[in-house]
Amino acid sequence: MLIRPVAEDFKVIGFYMGRISLVVAAASLLPLTWAGLAREWNPFGSFLLMTGVFALLGVIGVGLAPRKSELDWSHGMVVVALTWLLVPMIGAIPLVLSGHFGRPLDALFDAMSGLTTTGLSLLGDVDHLASSLNFWRHFLQFLGGQGIILAALTIFAGTGGITLYIGEARDERILPSVTSTARFIWAVSVVHLIFGVTSLGLVGWLVLGFDLDRSIFHGLMIFFAGFDTGGFAPQSTSIGYYHSAIFETVTALLMVAGAMSFGLHYALWRGPRRSVFANLETRTILSTFGFTMVLTLLGLAATGLFVNVAGLTRQGLFQVLSAHTGTGFSTVPSAELAKWGGLAFGGIAIAMALGGMGSSTAGGVKSLRIGLTIKAVINQIKQVLLPEHALVGTAYHQSGRKHLTPSLIQSVMVISLLYVALYLLGAGIGMAYGIPLQQSLFESVSASANVGLSVGVTDPSMPILLELVYMLQMWAGRLEFVAVFSLLGFVYAWVRGK
Amino acid sequence: MRRLVPVSLLATLFLLIPDPAYAALEVSVLELLELGAELAGEEVTVEGELVGDYGFRDNGWMWTQLNGDAYVRRPLREGSEAVGANLGIAIRVPVELTEVLDPPGRYRNRGPVVRVTGIWKYHDTARPGESYLEVQSLSVTEPGRQLNEEVNWIAVLLGALLLVGAGVIALLTRPKE
Repeated sequence: MLIRPVAEDFKVIGFYMGRISLVVAAASLLPLTWAGLAREWNPFGSFLLMTGVFALLGVIGVGLAPRKSELDWSHGMVVVALTWLLVPMIGAIPLVLSGHFGRPLDALFDAMSGLTTTGLSLLGDVDHLASSLNFWRHFLQFLGGQGIILAALTIFAGTGGITLYIGEARDERILPSVTSTARFIWAVSVVHLIFGVTSLGLVGWLVLGFDLDRSIFHGLMIFFAGFDTGGFAPQSTSIGYYHSAIFETVTALLMVAGAMSFGLHYALWRGPRRSVFANLETRTILSTFGFTMVLTLLGLAATGLFVNVAGLTRQGLFQVLSAHTGTGFSTVPSAELAKWGGLAFGGIAIAMALGGMGSSTAGGVKSLRIGLTIKAVINQIKQVLLPEHALVGTAYHQSGRKHLTPSLIQSVMVISLLYVALYLLGAGIGMAYGIPLQQSLFESVSASANVGLSVGVTDPSMPILLELVYMLQMWAGRLEFVAVFSLLGFVYAWVRGK
Repeated sequence: MRRLVPVSLLATLFLLIPDPAYAALEVSVLELLELGAELAGEEVTVEGELVGDYGFRDNGWMWTQLNGDAYVRRPLREGSEAVGANLGIAIRVPVELTEVLDPPGRYRNRGPVVRVTGIWKYHDTARPGESYLEVQSLSVTEPGRQLNEEVNWIAVLLGALLLVGAGVIALLTRPKE
């Protein structure tokens, strides 16, 4: 029998959402300060309003003070799913008021795209956007990539943390407690922040000849969007703006670091490093990257768009890396990407669909699931070919020796199939609006796998239904479905329960 | 008389050879983006606003972005509506041509609108895979100008009120020892 949630359930959920709202309100002080320092008074007002809304919701939520503040599994998942809806809604306030969007829904689309680290955008005239608003867009990607919940967990330790942690699509507890794991993740991010901003800033200043302050600005924005595999950029031509192989190389390093699981970061930092390459996930991502790379390069060679191997390799490599890590940066315009038909299109689309590593900032099906699926299929074939009583090994290496159990296979298959269904949903709706299959599928995969590469379908003139579907895809894809289904179940129980 | 004939011929020839600016194909930024391959190696003339940064590199070139979209003539800060993404291409300009340029377009600043003629380098082999316009001549059509920024006082007031309200609620609902 379905049990209808009672007032206490809502109080628990409201209490935790209140706490998270307070954390985001504190984070909102950064763009507010930026706007003040840059004397951008129009965005300053909208940031003040946004901070006020977050703070008010925060204190109201915390003020609910439930009798028991322990968070069970279902409550935790609902908190995560709602938080990932609430933050974009309020975070869109400065974007709506900026005048850079045709309709408020477009601003919400960008906020959702930012938070889910997708990178698709409906923003008009980004080249004249206030620097504080640019900071907010990129900072949203940082918040989303790191995990808003993770930020809250770092500050508010307590019971129920593990539920929230898992709800945000992380299943790897690197250190004994969730709080210490969250702090480790922040430590990794800060080290990369220092490396990323310094390197990109120096390249901008010394090689590209930008002013020092602008070099640091570009470095910071590209770090946020690169390390958190987001894909927003401060200029409309994305990474193509910089026209620099060195800049692209540093950006690529950040994208790779962002797509690596934090468990892998831990192994690289603390050792043993040899085990990193024994991991099923590492081997899978290296193989799929090689495969999609070859596919794309062969396809690009067939198009005849590039006259020399160096150009073809540089552009192909960057685009595949951007797709596979789920970043969405590009060095070629959308109009040109749309011409990459055949194998090149296939290579990029497959790379996007597969995604990065689990417990990273990347989206998509994720390498571990791909690796486990392949292993399960191989085992099944072996089982058929070998004598009836022969035992097929189920062991695999992933941060230690593990076994492929039927329940693990089931869970992997279900999530993978849900991703495929999500990819097809957006593609189908796109086609219903008369968009060709290739473009519909590309954009749908890009939204669902939180990549952000576009062949031009994502545009302010796009149908509202398609826009809503892409937003749903970004949200569900980022949370890997579990929290979304929990929310749906909670609502259903509220309506139909007894 | 003997001298006059070749001089006259040379003068006629000189008059017949067109000025590079006039011989170049007149294109828009959109055409360069959509027909990039077809226009590869062509001498083209394009007009647009310079935005972003002026990157002065060691080799005597300045790199920047030239936008040819609706925002060039109707900036958002002057009340026009958002009509989609920017349309921009990279250009590289000999440093000696850049002295006449106002600061590039950014927030509260409409960059100079220029008319440039140069060679469209599509997937240039010298700079693996990059596409850009190598500028040979440049003229400023409209100088850069400051754009107004209006403070949204309603947002400021509302935000301040909400923050005060949040503070009051926090005080009233704080747990008692």
